[in-house]
Amino acid sequence: MSDGNGAPNLKVVDAFDLDDELRTLLRPGEMVKDEKGRRHRLPRYFYEVPSHDVAMQTRLTHHFGLNEFILVDLKENQRLQQFPTYVPCAVRTLAFYLEQFRAAAGASVHIAVNGGYRSPAHKMSHGATPHMWGTAADVYRIGSTILKTKELIEKYNEVAEDLSDDLHVLPMGHVTGSAADDHVHVDLGYITLIPREISEDRMEQPQENRPRFAYEERRRKERRHSVEEASEPQ
Amino acid sequence: MSSRVAQHDSVASAEVSLYHNVLKIKQEHELQNLGISFYDCETTIQWAYNADHYFHAASTMKLAVLLGVFRQVDRGELTLDAPVHVRNRFTSIVNQEPFMLDLSRDADPNVYGHLGKTLTVRELAYWMITLSSNLATNLLVEVIGIANVQAALDELEIDGIRVIRGVEDQAAFEAGLNNEVTANGLLKLLRLIAEERAYSREACEEMLKIMLDQQYRSGIPAGLPKAARVAHKTGNISTVHHDAGIVYLEKRKPYVLVILTQFTAETRRGTAVADVSRDIFNAISGMMYE
Repeated sequence: MSDGNGAPNLKVVDAFDLDDELRTLLRPGEMVKDEKGRRHRLPRYFYEVPSHDVAMQTRLTHHFGLNEFILVDLKENQRLQQFPTYVPCAVRTLAFYLEQFRAAAGASVHIAVNGGYRSPAHKMSHGATPHMWGTAADVYRIGSTILKTKELIEKYNEVAEDLSDDLHVLPMGHVTGSAADDHVHVDLGYITLIPREISEDRMEQPQENRPRFAYEERRRKERRHSVEEASEPQ
Repeated sequence: MSSRVAQHDSVASAEVSLYHNVLKIKQEHELQNLGISFYDCETTIQWAYNADHYFHAASTMKLAVLLGVFRQVDRGELTLDAPVHVRNRFTSIVNQEPFMLDLSRDADPNVYGHLGKTLTVRELAYWMITLSSNLATNLLVEVIGIANVQAALDELEIDGIRVIRGVEDQAAFEAGLNNEVTANGLLKLLRLIAEERAYSREACEEMLKIMLDQQYRSGIPAGLPKAARVAHKTGNISTVHHDAGIVYLEKRKPYVLVILTQFTAETRRGTAVADVSRDIFNAISGMMYE
């Protein structure tokens, strides 16, 4: 299902073209504030994952399957727990870095449930976090070692930091500011990826009297239809 | 004993005999406190001893969590097949500080073996009851919210059960904030399930199915013939040993029995619960064959 080099053979969708429910959940192009009040624009281009089997078969890198990045539980919105589901295209960049991280760690790297992509509708999405861009991973296990102590978390944080300045880690207990934690968090920041087959002219050069997005066209048709129905002789 | 059926001399004598036996068991096992509540669905006979006294709930609180889960399912706010992330990090009710369970104390690898992965709500409920998994319990409490556990108890008018937190919250324990139960409170909860009056018939059947698979059988079942089937939940910490269950015998309706015991930390847990269970069974059998 892929060439193993980070470009999966999946359909790329412009989230503005998705149905109203999905657009409301994914909020493409919207600005979201992070914990320091900085504003970041949510991703717009997503891979459409048609089924669990496809997610399992799609390799983003030699050791990372797409399924590992979209594992969620009931904290994710119910619609987005179903297929087809959507993951920002930048996830393949994260997979590339995690592959390097795996090599440096010398063992398999396991992403926790809810530890990969989390939509803006996910219950753990409070403000902008790179998880909403598909560019963050919470790693709960490396090889057979469960990451539950300060020593282990700091050890693998160092491995990630030594690997690249692009990789950002969070300290032990970053969520609650305490000494209890159960994962290593690595992220690439707020990267958005626009696949080369995408033309962005619709966004930049809207044409007069022509809808920019498919949903606008749908709405026009719906409006036209309802007007026609209303004007039919009773 | 009270009953809607005609009172027999045998019932009165069984009551007296039972009372004496219970006092004897309490003395022999050096119990600080003993609470018993009993209801027989066949004869409607009820019997209680110190049944409104509050005990540390230990793992019997998991029955309330089970009820809370089925409340949310009944309301359409949760499905039993919903996946839940298995992680070992919870928040104390005292200082909102996170804490982790000591997994070496948790007897259930079926849950902690899934750390980082998912289990369904149904699986968590099963391991919470049958192997008393603390990890499964805290995960379910987090999923449904402790307020909804108490809401279930309130809606069903179950007095005598106070659930304020999950398990192994050491800061709460040290602050004296514990879940508490009375024998009458647990009896009411179990009666609702036995009589299919807790939310729906399907919910009660599901809950009974789980409780019938209980793996710890040193309490009520140990005082019964092997053919008896018991849907129950035990509760143990260093100073209490409880069991609360619904007993199914051949050719009669079930009876519901709750036995709560408390002892000093120096006193080893004995067979008090099994002994009371045996005496209750003997009393029932005596009446059955009068």
